Amino acid sequence: MTLRTERLVLRQPSAAHTQAVVAFFGSERARFVGGPMDTGKAWRAFASFAGHWTLRGFGSFVAETASDARPVALVGPWFPGDWPEREIGWSLLAAQDEGQGYATEAARACLAHAFGPLGWDTAVSYIHKDNHASCAVAERLGARLEPKTAAPGADDLVYRHTAPGVQP
Amino acid sequence: MTRIETERLVLRAPLAEDSAALVGFFASERAAFVGGPLALGLAWRHVATICGHWMLKGFGPFILTDRHTGESLGLTGPWAPGDRPEPEVVWALWDHAPKGQGLAQEGAQAALDHLFTGLRWESVVCYIDPSNAPSIALARRLGGVEDPHAARPAPTDLVFRHAPNSGARP
Repeated sequence: MTLRTERLVLRQPSAAHTQAVVAFFGSERARFVGGPMDTGKAWRAFASFAGHWTLRGFGSFVAETASDARPVALVGPWFPGDWPEREIGWSLLAAQDEGQGYATEAARACLAHAFGPLGWDTAVSYIHKDNHASCAVAERLGARLEPKTAAPGADDLVYRHTAPGVQP
Repeated sequence: MTRIETERLVLRAPLAEDSAALVGFFASERAAFVGGPLALGLAWRHVATICGHWMLKGFGPFILTDRHTGESLGLTGPWAPGDRPEPEVVWALWDHAPKGQGLAQEGAQAALDHLFTGLRWESVVCYIDPSNAPSIALARRLGGVEDPHAARPAPTDLVFRHAPNSGARP
């Protein structure tokens, strides 16, 4: 399963992505998604993203630059056993790739995939209230804040994405 | 994906259909010696990590299934998540699996044979809590030899080392 956008190729997680994703979960950049983690926990977290595909038949992608196959984001469907609803998530892996619109471009492709081939009619994004960059991505994607919907964490905001043609 | 057959068992990689048995095991008291019991959400993520171990490394713990009925009975095989001092071989039987019939030994022996002949590992350890007497007995039956000098995840863990032709004892 591969998705393509203008500048990115979204692939299922593989060994080739391990170093970049483990470095992300080990860094301060992961502070809104359970990090920073030590290397062992970071590897286990990435493996859980990979194994999500086995258990659900779908899962998050690693977005690579189309030009040189460099991993830039972990993005897409995420529905672990303890999640209230199906989520579309995104994490830009490294500071050097900020400000390029990569997260928005990749997440938009994942929403089209979820609302198309996967047949979802709705999706949420759970975002820590202090993660302003991620909130801005949700807003660029057209998601609407839902203050009364259940979230996994007490400090999470819930953004709602609605499939084209479905009444919100 | 690797598939191994023994007299009574088939060992295969985990599938979506195994998730209820796997999550149930890690959420149960039977998982007390392998980091559990875990809350359901954490158990699900741990099972996803086991499946992802296969995707990222190309090998991982096998599901033990009844050769005739296909019923899932437990898991056994290599476990090398990167935060253990060395690659490990693990084993567990589900609560409903028949006990005292040597099924865990039969499965773990097949997994060890695969590690040494298929993957060409030269050594593998298991880390066992000193109060887990059944697992210690199985490690010894499989030819494991206690290694008092090896690094271990918890200071109280025992380390049993297996090597090719270390000789399973009846």
